[in-house]
Amino acid sequence: MRHYELMVLVDPEVDERTVEPTLGKYMEVVKKDGGTVDNVDVWGRRRLAYEIQKKTEAVYAVVNFHSTPDAAAELDRLLRLNETIMRTKITRPEEQKID
Amino acid sequence: MAKAELKKPKPKANPLKAADITVIDYKDTALLRKFISDRGKIRARRVTGVTVQEQRKIAQAIKNAREVALLPYAGAGRG
Repeated sequence: MRHYELMVLVDPEVDERTVEPTLGKYMEVVKKDGGTVDNVDVWGRRRLAYEIQKKTEAVYAVVNFHSTPDAAAELDRLLRLNETIMRTKITRPEEQKID
Repeated sequence: MAKAELKKPKPKANPLKAADITVIDYKDTALLRKFISDRGKIRARRVTGVTVQEQRKIAQAIKNAREVALLPYAGAGRG
């Protein structure tokens, strides 16, 4: 199991309150594979530094979870299929540490 | 003949040490903004005064932040 951090940018026309339940549904992929969801943080609407798909803002959400690399890749694939999700990014926090 | 004077540039204070930072988080735009110019370019290490290893992580974090539109790409928008 590895620690991953997922960031998703959701279309601003989507109701912010539906973001967390929707993400929860996607996280089933991780749970089914034996992974755990540690934290879901919906930042809410935020201005983008540049336009994406002609939009100037998006709903940001960050999810911390533990899973196998395969489950993380599958989660990313499924998220990309959803048209209301403008962008996804999965990172590993361990790689950002400095010593 | 006058001796060529050796001028050692004064090492800059490491801004990461001062702030006691152990993780370069790409979400921490307040921190990363200190390492980019007004144009959005990543500042050189001789300007930032961090170590090679730290500079690499900072550069990667800035690039990650750009991907999710937390920071602008260089040249985008006004100078």
